[in-house]
Amino acid sequence: MNKLVACQTCGLVQDATDVPKNSVIQCARCHFQIFHRRVDSRVRTLAFSLAALILYFPSNIYPIVTAEYQGQHIQTTIFQGISSLFSLHQYFIAALMFCTSILTPGLKIIGLIFITLTLDWPHWKKTRTWIFKIIRIIDPWNMLEVFLLAICVSMVELGEVATVHPGRGVFSFAAVVVLTLLATLSFDSRLLWDSPAEKKHYG
Amino acid sequence: MDEKSHAPPKAIIKKSHLSWFLWLIPVAAALLCARFVCDDIISAGPTVTIFFENAGGLQAQNSLVKYRGVKIGEVQTLKLTQDRRHVAVKVQLDASAASVARQGSVFWIVRPEVKLGSLSGLQTIVSGDYIAVQPGNGARTNIFVGADKEPIKPVKAMDILLLAPKLGSLQPQSPVFYREIQVGEVLDCRLGDDAREVVIHARIEEEYAPLVRMNSVFWNAGGLNVHIGLFSGANISAESAQTLINGGIEFATPPDFQSEATNDTIFDLNEKSEDEWEKWSPAIPLHSMPETMTNKISLPNLNNKNPR
Repeated sequence: MNKLVACQTCGLVQDATDVPKNSVIQCARCHFQIFHRRVDSRVRTLAFSLAALILYFPSNIYPIVTAEYQGQHIQTTIFQGISSLFSLHQYFIAALMFCTSILTPGLKIIGLIFITLTLDWPHWKKTRTWIFKIIRIIDPWNMLEVFLLAICVSMVELGEVATVHPGRGVFSFAAVVVLTLLATLSFDSRLLWDSPAEKKHYG
Repeated sequence: MDEKSHAPPKAIIKKSHLSWFLWLIPVAAALLCARFVCDDIISAGPTVTIFFENAGGLQAQNSLVKYRGVKIGEVQTLKLTQDRRHVAVKVQLDASAASVARQGSVFWIVRPEVKLGSLSGLQTIVSGDYIAVQPGNGARTNIFVGADKEPIKPVKAMDILLLAPKLGSLQPQSPVFYREIQVGEVLDCRLGDDAREVVIHARIEEEYAPLVRMNSVFWNAGGLNVHIGLFSGANISAESAQTLINGGIEFATPPDFQSEATNDTIFDLNEKSEDEWEKWSPAIPLHSMPETMTNKISLPNLNNKNPR
């Protein structure tokens, strides 16, 4: 089985025959990594999304910030922030914040774990594709978290009398954002429609 | 032949070790979570519920419980009881303060208080009201009835009762003087049982207790004393600026003093002093300073280290 690959970096066409499992291919000319498929896609996606799932809970349970304002100390979790926005009649922002920081990360993590775990299963191929489609749709909304954090920072800057310490939640939350990002990056959608023979090779 | 020279170069193939390390990421995440949970379990003490008649100034998730000025817990929730007579304040204590949750502990809310002659709890104006505690020694319990004000510290002192026809300007915390030195204070004032006089409950510090004899005389030292005489002119005097506003009690003991007064001895409170009383100067040995006051500063470790 003679396989030719072109290096994604320098374009050199080269021979990558009989690549054993758990190995990486490097370009003969520029030494950058080449791949037919994303390397260890399934394992990586599963590992990253599992880690994200584990940290998803502390990021929602523990306070994001501990603010000290005129001697009072206020701890706020993401959910409390959303409900206080809701009670201030900022329904749109509250809904946006709920979707981007609680709903979509959760859905995405669970979806990715479901897909990677059931990949060997011949059934539910369509379901997996649907889930992947949904993940693709909600993916851009996930990025809003970054902007929301920016908004939070600006709010903190406004209150000059307030001292704000990051809580445990914010570290877990940041980790969840990064880990879900890595999980989607390492996921190779071609895994979804591989034939059993290909699965054996790439799985 | 040609084919051979045009054969594409062989790619470099290397073994990948990364896949094994990948699983360290979820493991690390799990360890982090476990640490959070452990921290919570270790630092969390018992949850106690305190019933206050008025929980004004407390805020759920925000107000603190302090002992000796240090945070030992946090208010979780505030709820009205079913009979609407109390507020149930749920408090999460720190593990280090678990021993506070005992019968006999008294909880009260520290609020800013402005009285003539004294200001207290001023820091709460900025930091918010908090719950203070005086620990007890009873069996463990989780339910307390909060006091409405700081309990009077069980100091060694002598309490006396003074009967007066009217209160004058006296009020709780008015000072009691002997030779214009404060030796005690008024604790509370109330109307007598048959409403014929005012009963003033005063406390004399232990150190000065021997000054009070069965035949001591007390008079109201508040307000202004105005003497107008033909030859001396006008003589206006007041004990101190504090007594001018706050009222005060002074007493004197005659040279032929009798035995020491005991707790809850009843005296009459005269409206004015007589010149003769102020000339009395009996020699009465005082109690030495209470031990707790002198021992406070000397720590055993510090003494040992001190080279001579």
